[in-house]
Amino acid sequence: MRVAKLFQKTMFGIFLLFGLIAFSTSALCIYTVDKQLSDEYEANSRAIAQTIADSSIDIILTRDMSTLQSLIDQFKEIQGIKYIYIVNEESEILAHTFVPGVPKAIMASDWPDTGTAHRQLPGFGEFIEISSPILDGIAGWVHVGMDKGLIALKIQTAIGRQVYLISIIFIVSIVASFLLVNLAANPLRRLAGYAMHLAAPDAPTTLKPGEMQALLERNDEVGQLARLFLYLSKREAPASFSPPPSLPAVN
Amino acid sequence: MRWALVELSLILVLSLLLVGSPQPILSANQGQTTQDTLSASPSQSERRAEGVTDSEILIGMSAAFTGASDSLGIELYRGAMAYFVEINRSGGVHGRKIILKAYDDGYQPDQAVKNTLKLMLEDRVFLLFDYVGTPTVTRVLPLLKKYDNLHFLLFFPFTGAQPQREPPYDTLAFNLRASYRQETEGLVKNFLALGRSRIAVFYQADAYGRSGWVGVREALARRNAKIVGEATYARGTKYTESLDRQVAILQEVNPEAIISIGAYAACAAFIRDARKAGLNVPIANVSFVGSESMLKLLIETSQEDGKDYTLNLVNSQVVPSYEDTSFPAVKEYRALMDTYDPMPPTDLVEADYQPLPYSFVSLEGFLNAKLLVEILKRLNGQLVRAQIAPTVEDIHDFDLGMGAPISFGTQRNQGSDAVYYTTVKDSRFIPIYDWKEWFK
Repeated sequence: MRVAKLFQKTMFGIFLLFGLIAFSTSALCIYTVDKQLSDEYEANSRAIAQTIADSSIDIILTRDMSTLQSLIDQFKEIQGIKYIYIVNEESEILAHTFVPGVPKAIMASDWPDTGTAHRQLPGFGEFIEISSPILDGIAGWVHVGMDKGLIALKIQTAIGRQVYLISIIFIVSIVASFLLVNLAANPLRRLAGYAMHLAAPDAPTTLKPGEMQALLERNDEVGQLARLFLYLSKREAPASFSPPPSLPAVN
Repeated sequence: MRWALVELSLILVLSLLLVGSPQPILSANQGQTTQDTLSASPSQSERRAEGVTDSEILIGMSAAFTGASDSLGIELYRGAMAYFVEINRSGGVHGRKIILKAYDDGYQPDQAVKNTLKLMLEDRVFLLFDYVGTPTVTRVLPLLKKYDNLHFLLFFPFTGAQPQREPPYDTLAFNLRASYRQETEGLVKNFLALGRSRIAVFYQADAYGRSGWVGVREALARRNAKIVGEATYARGTKYTESLDRQVAILQEVNPEAIISIGAYAACAAFIRDARKAGLNVPIANVSFVGSESMLKLLIETSQEDGKDYTLNLVNSQVVPSYEDTSFPAVKEYRALMDTYDPMPPTDLVEADYQPLPYSFVSLEGFLNAKLLVEILKRLNGQLVRAQIAPTVEDIHDFDLGMGAPISFGTQRNQGSDAVYYTTVKDSRFIPIYDWKEWFK
């Protein structure tokens, strides 16, 4: 099946429109998911950092580092938390969760870092790092790294689902619009054939038997035009008028 | 006649009542003694609630029987059972057999907590015994604290970490073995004496690894030195995995000795990859590693690769060498392991597990069991949990047959301070008598 020339631009317009919708909703989705997840993870990380900072005071003061390690290991199991490390007031790392080792970028940090920082650690990924002081920083700092890769993964998942849905709607729309366009294009095609037949009755026609009568009996605009063409053809043609030797086919 | 029968009946009834009630025929002093004994002695129902019956004493164990550290739990169990079976066959402790109820935690803290709850609240064991690992024990200790009204005690966990040696948990556990601090102190001291001051640490990224790391750090700090580099691995790492990244990290700092705080599979993999990469400095492991299991893996790979991966290894131990039969306990251990060769229940062990004839781990399990039996005997039938701690604290200079006296006290919950050093020669661990071969 081919699309009538008259409607090719319409179809192109539908493509464009869908593209615009897909792009704009995806962009909005990325922004929304990114913002919400980042805010949520940041809030969680801040709460975790604060909790560890509050509960590790006694442990640090009693020098029980294995209990301190046990404490941070439990929090590391929370989704989105990629690493936790604790530095003392002398900027020495007392406990951490890094494997196979503490990244050089962290070792080279100029502590105390406060608040929120964005970190790119080669071999580990990109992180939002939240810091919280222990005893107002006198006993050290807790640092919690939140995996930005996980946020990206969640965005990808959300976008993937959205694109999947839009693709299905797009395919259904294309099929539906194709059928609807043809519904409008076929009577016009027959009307064009009828007009050519009236202009050159001896030329071969594309109309099937009975289609001319069906056109004339229609009670819509196509039927009105067909009857108008018939009426005009029965009037005497002006002397200057001569039908073209051939007319291009109308698709 | 009729009245005479009634009188006789009354006399008989009164006589029976008097015989049935002891008070009237006891002196005040005797009555007091009896009353005291009754209040100190647990009733049958109390004892049953505390894991003790007239014929059994139920004790509970949670350890790694599966996973990358399965050998630790299995061998510890085997060593302990070798002694318990012998005791049970010779009549038990005060006529009661010792039943060891064991669960597998796979060296995972959460599972250890679940197992402990089951042992305490469902199985109602008398005490907890032979737990394996620092991350597991550190998570179980708060549980004991929570139920401290039930007086549960943890005996001889297979870990040298500090939490169960220090407040607030020191009153909830008794240790036989020396601590990781003592092991690492000795290793650091010996390496520094050999001129090897650039010491790096390879450790398990958890409470156990951290405990050893602290030991090394503090031992170095006391000598104005620092750890030159460190690398970690995730708990549960298998021997088949590559540890090249960890080796590369440590190679960068050019260490003169490496102290490794891990379990046998990962530590063997690290040694293999270090030697392949040309990092041939001495690598020392602490007692928890599971020396024979580590050596077994290295020997197998040495044979496959045609390269000896067992050179330049030092292992600190908290029990004497099982090759040294001059220790009475070692002699007894070997005899009982040969006689009984016990295995954990089949549902706890994977079918393809190959038990070790002797090992440092099973020897430790054996010594733990031997000391526990001594404690149970000293309870003199007063088998209630609240009586255990005072009884243990009363043990001073007890000869367990391991060459070092065992002492406990109100301020001391670790029986032994002995650390032994071994190395590999001819594919087996032998005691180190001379450290000169590692002179820099």
